[in-house]
This record gives sequence, C-alpha cells and structure tokens, in this order.
Amino acid sequence: MKSSLTRIFWLARLTFLEAVRQRFFAFLIVLGAAMVLSSFAFRFLDFGHGELKFIADFGFGGLFFFGSILALVMTAQLLFAEMDNRTALTLLAKPVSRTEFLIGKFTGIWVVLGLFVFVLSILLGVMLWGRWQELVILAEQSAKVAPQFSLEGVFSHALLQWFRLGVVTSMVLLISTIARTFLFAVVVGAMTIVAGQLQWLAQEALFKPADLNPLSHALLWLASRILPNLQQFNIGDALALDPGAVMSGAVSSALLSGGFYLIAYLFLASLTFKRREI
Amino acid sequence: MSDTSAISVQGLTKDFRVGLRGLKLRAVDNLSFEIPRGQVFGLLGPNGCGKSTTLKIILGLVAPTAGKISILGYPSATSEARQRTGFLPEAPYFHKFLTGRELVRYCARLSGVPTAQLDSAVEEALALAAMSEAGNRTIGTYSKGMLQRIGFAQAIVHDPELVILDEPTAGVDPVGSAAIGKMIHSMREKGKTVVLCSHLLGQVEQVCDRIAIMDRGRLVLEGRVDEVLARRDKHIITVEHLTPAARVAAEAALQSHGAQVTSITHPRRSLEDLFRELVTGSRDA
Amino acid sequence: MKQRASWLLAGVLIWGAGTFSEFSWEKIRPSVPEIGRKEIEPSLGQGVLLGILGGLRNIVADGTWIRSYVYWERKDRAACEALMRTACALDPRSRYFWENTGCVIGYDMAHWEIRRRGGYNKVTREIQDDIFKKYARHGLVVFEEGVKYTGGSPSLLISAGQLSEIKLKDSLLAADYYRRAAESKGAPWFSYFLCAKAYWEGGKKVEAYLWYRKQYIEKLLPMDDGSPDDLNHLRYFEEELNVPFLQRIPRQKWEKRI
Repeated sequence: MKSSLTRIFWLARLTFLEAVRQRFFAFLIVLGAAMVLSSFAFRFLDFGHGELKFIADFGFGGLFFFGSILALVMTAQLLFAEMDNRTALTLLAKPVSRTEFLIGKFTGIWVVLGLFVFVLSILLGVMLWGRWQELVILAEQSAKVAPQFSLEGVFSHALLQWFRLGVVTSMVLLISTIARTFLFAVVVGAMTIVAGQLQWLAQEALFKPADLNPLSHALLWLASRILPNLQQFNIGDALALDPGAVMSGAVSSALLSGGFYLIAYLFLASLTFKRREI
Repeated sequence: MSDTSAISVQGLTKDFRVGLRGLKLRAVDNLSFEIPRGQVFGLLGPNGCGKSTTLKIILGLVAPTAGKISILGYPSATSEARQRTGFLPEAPYFHKFLTGRELVRYCARLSGVPTAQLDSAVEEALALAAMSEAGNRTIGTYSKGMLQRIGFAQAIVHDPELVILDEPTAGVDPVGSAAIGKMIHSMREKGKTVVLCSHLLGQVEQVCDRIAIMDRGRLVLEGRVDEVLARRDKHIITVEHLTPAARVAAEAALQSHGAQVTSITHPRRSLEDLFRELVTGSRDA
Repeated sequence: MKQRASWLLAGVLIWGAGTFSEFSWEKIRPSVPEIGRKEIEPSLGQGVLLGILGGLRNIVADGTWIRSYVYWERKDRAACEALMRTACALDPRSRYFWENTGCVIGYDMAHWEIRRRGGYNKVTREIQDDIFKKYARHGLVVFEEGVKYTGGSPSLLISAGQLSEIKLKDSLLAADYYRRAAESKGAPWFSYFLCAKAYWEGGKKVEAYLWYRKQYIEKLLPMDDGSPDDLNHLRYFEEELNVPFLQRIPRQKWEKRI
C-alpha cells in the first residue's frame, strides 16, 4: 500500500510539473485573472445587480469557464501525450499498475486545477472584500443598508469548484481511455460537461408528476444516473453574497456528491484503461 | 516452463481487430520459445513480423489472445515480474524538462528502489550508461545517442534481472552503438539476462549468445549464435606471409587429402571497426 | 469472474453517486433561485441557458435585457416579454429587471394590444378597460414574483401599488401593497403617506388615519426633522374626521398653526 502511494505520488508530481510548465496553463490563468480584474472596470455597465454581485459574477464565470476548458483540454492532452510519445510505455513497463498510473495522472492534474482555482479565488476574494469595505462606508454615510459579503463563502465556492473540476477531470480521463484521438476525447468531453450542467433537468423531470412514456422515463433515469449533476457546485453567488440563503450542510453534501462521482468515474476509467493496448 | 528460464513463451497468439467489420489480423502466431537466464538473446525479424508486439505482450502492455508467458518464474504483467524487469523502448522519449539524473531518480522511485539506496543506485546506473557528467543537463539538450544511454540507465536503475532493449541502437552512430554494446556486455558479466530486439544484424551477432528469427508472426529459427551461423562444410584458414610458392604447395597438400580450395582472399576488417579506430570519441562522450 | 465483479462494482458506484446527487441537489436547490423556478422549467431554451452558465449570468442577463429593448421598440409583445423574463430568470435577485418587466407589461403592452386591434377609435372603451386590467394583473404577477425573489423589495411593492391604483383603479389593493412596502425593511418615507391616502380614497378613512398616526408616532416623528409633511397630512385627516382636540396628535413645537 505504501509503495503504491509512493508511486502515485511520483506520477502525480511529474504530471503536475509537466502541466504547470505548459503555456496553455499560464495562458488560461492569465486570462482568468484578467477577467476577474476587468470586472472592476466594467462594473458600471450593470443594470442594478449590485456592484459586488457583478464583480462576483464575472469572477465566478471566469473560474467556471476557463477552469472547465483547462480541465478538459489538459486532461486529454496529458494522457494522449503519454501514449503518443510512448512515455506511457516506459512507465507502464515498470511495477506501476494502470490504476496507479491513472490515479497519479488525476492527482497531478487536480492539484494544478486547485492551484488555478485558488489563485483566482484569492484574487477575486481580495477584490470583493476591498470593494465591500468601501460600500459599507458609503452605505453608513448615506444611511442605506450595506450589502452582505462573506469571504469564507468565496473560499467555500472555490472548494466546490475544485471538486467540480475534479469530477470533470475524472470524466474526461474515462473518455480518454476509450477515445482513439485527442480531438474525439475533447469534443465528447465538452459535450459531457454541457450535459452535466443540464443533468438537473433530467433529475427534476423524473420526479415531476407528468405523463412520461416508459422509454422517456428510462432515458431520464439513465441520464440522471450516468451523468454528474455539475450544477450543484455553482452556488457562488449565494455563498459569497447571501450566505443566509444556503442551507446548512449544502456545501458538504455537494462535496460528498462530487467525491462519489470522482471515485466512480476513476474506477470505471481504470477498468477501461486496463483493456487498452498501449 | 523451466525455472532456469528468464522468459518462457508458450503458444503465444495475438490477433488484432481491424476496421469496422472487426477483421482479424494475426500479428503473432502460436509462438513458443524459452530464454535461458544470464544470456544475451537477440530477437530478429523484418518490420511487421511481430517482434514489438511480442515484447509488448511480454511486458504486459498488450493482452495476448492466447498463450502463456512467464518472466523469471512469475506470470508476466504482474508486479513481481515487472519489479525484476528493465525496459528500454524503441526511440525513447522522456519529459524534456527533467535532467537525466532526475529522470533516472524518478524511475528508481517508481521501480521501488529504497530511499537509502537511491543515490547510489542512480549514480551507478548513470556511470554504467556513461552519463554521469551529462546527468545534470536537461533531456531536451541530449543527442540521440545520449537519449538511448539515459534510457538504458533508467531501465537498469533498479538492478533488474532481465533487461529488454527494443532497437537500442536505432539512429545511433557507431561510437554510440559500440558504447551500448559495451553496456550489454557489462550486463552479461553481472549475470543479467538481456533481450535485444534489433535490425543491426552485425551488432546482434557480436553481442548475442542466442538468437530467434521471426517472420510473419512465427518463429523460423532459434538457437545459439555460433551454432546457427556456422557452416560446418567449409573452413577458413588465416595465414601470414603467404608467398606464391607456399600457396601452390598448400593447395596441392590440401587436394591430396581430398579437400578443395574454393577461394583465397585477404581478410577484411568491418567498416564499423575502421570507423571506431579512426573516430576515438564524440560530442556525447 | 473477478472482472465481472469489477464492472458490477463500477455500475454500483455510478448508480450510488447518481442517487446521492439527488439528495445533495435537494439541499443546494434553494440556494440557486434561478434553477428552482418552476415558471422557466417548461422553456427548454432558458433552462439550457441557465444550465450551461456556471457564472456570467449577470452579463448574459444584461445582454438579454438590452436585446429586449429592440422588441420593445418594435412593440413585439411575445418576444419582448420572453427576453425580459429570461433576464429575470438569469438574475432573479435583481429588482431592476422585475420592476421594469412589470411596468412594461402592466403599462405598455395594453397600448400595443389596443393598437394591434385597430387603435383607440376602433376599440370600445369597455374593451380598452378590460385590456388595461388584463395587462395590469399580468404585471402584478411579475411584481409579486419579483417580491419573492428579492426578499420583499419595497420598491417593487410600491410599483405594484401604483399599477393597482392607476390601471386597476383599485385603491384598497394599492393600499395593501403600499402597506407591505411601508412595513418592509428599508421602506421609503413616502410609502406611509401613499398607503394612508390609498386607504382614504378606498373609503377606509378611519383605518387610514389610525394606521398613519401609529406609523407617524413610531417611525416618522423620531426622524431628524419630525416629518412635517406627514404631520400636515395627518392634521388634514383629523380635520376631515373631526377628531376631538384632546385625541389628536399633540402639537409639536416646530409646527405651524394651520
């Protein structure tokens, strides 16, 4: 067990080093940061959402959008690079099982995504906190109600996003173990992310008292079981700007749900990867 | 299966499914052979004969359709078998941002070299591959020969009993090729089993104890190099200071015993030997 | 056998994860009002839009709102309402979207409908009134919805009260809205008078005076300037209702004699 963990650690370490050296990672983190920073300049364009909400929306949007692209492309690229360059051949000829190889890859990528999420969240948190302080003073001066803000909420959201990207990564790994080409893995992966964002529609339709024919019912049931509910991780607005609206235990149950998906997809990916000829 | 075998292959068959209709393509057809421990074994054959597939199956990278393989008494593709095996793939590619030393260290970690022995194992492997000095350079700056040598170092860093080398000299100049030959010799001296897959028949002939030749997925010849290459109906006598009179006398003497001289030529050294004599080193060394 | 068991286990894990997500979604759903809104569920387009946007909903809502003005200018009722409601759905906590959607539906769309039917000369007065009332009630539904998602915005309640008063000619309904506005957090100072006036005009004069008087003493009088305009209105009510002098609000030092 210990030697297995050691091997996973070293595989993850190399994956992390490889990923952070990629220009793609640097490009997306700069783009994400630029989006977070630019929200401050564009906040006057909003239609009365509230300044903090506008800034938060921009920041959370950047995290969601660029994070998804990073998780999708980086995961597929790193796995296919290992197979195309035949470095996987060298590694898998060593006492490294395919499950260890996949978990190592996943861990390395997930740590990179964690870096991405937390760097952008710190930036967003600082910006929101700074502006909130100013708005509180302005509200006091004009005897208005000051907006609510929770820095802790920003970081709870960061944790949720990190888990969401973990689920996306495990899903893309699963697709990549079946796909023959990088392009196929990326296209199918992107479609699966969109489907995951919409899974809640299937989940809710299943429980609506509507006349569903057995086939539609079966399809909805299958979709709500196979696809992850990615929407449950997008509660940044409520966590940061209206913490009272979030039910107690909501964040932990979403994290637990993410953890279940992650383990399930990784397990399935290890089974399909075992059948793959390198 | 014999306990003295480094590798035992019994009835190995591999079919690949091709195209949408799933037509079967047989890459390896009922292959059986044994590689004794402590020898250098050459696996030869033209492109597409099934050599690489055989090696991949032995290493557990591809699943066989039928047949049994054991490595040093353990079923192939098990952790025990891989722990005792080192592998250098054809045209190896490693992460360019790592230094040679980091790569070997990383591979040692993955192969389960204990922390206490890590430094010495890495340095020993680098020294054997003549890469100690270049070990701190990033792999991106290595020449092809250096890449093969660092690949060799990563394959042997955990002191495996069996080393599998797939085209170790492909694209390498004769000096580098000779260096790899030396490494193979030193592995044999240490009592290791080396399986060599190569197109360079001259080199295989020089370094291998046994060879097997494959064609269209089947084994067409297997045996000791000196046995399979020897032509027992013909002989070579090397003579110095042969005068024309001595030559006539010698031919007459041989004919009187019923022997027939078919050709008398000057012995030739190989171009590779000449090249190595003239070129004493290279940029890599 | 072992392989089959592994595949079976993978199936069980996926099924388990899917089942657990139902439980977690129940806990998350109330935190995402835009997701839980029943009125957008039948509209797949809006559902898809909401679904694929993890953030950036405000900026998309802004774009949708700007686009809705193109249809407003063309007086395209269906498209305008659909886009405005999409903006509300994308950012249901925004008072601005609800208020303007309610106003456009409640005030403007009735005129478009009359014009579509041939104009004010062709449509009889009775039918015009029916149309105004129909759209006013529709606008009130939007305001009510907005009140729910904005946590009882007094601004929306006042707009609802005005719509009730102007288009439905229902002073008592308007009074109810104004009263809710006056009793909500951050109520504007004029909401008290609006409420009292609507009750007064609706015939509930005594209730209007008593409620206004109570609000004045508790909330308006303690303000810095003592709210002289509201006291003037109350004095008018006292005069009209012939409230005995001793029962009237005590005279303030700064108060001018009427």
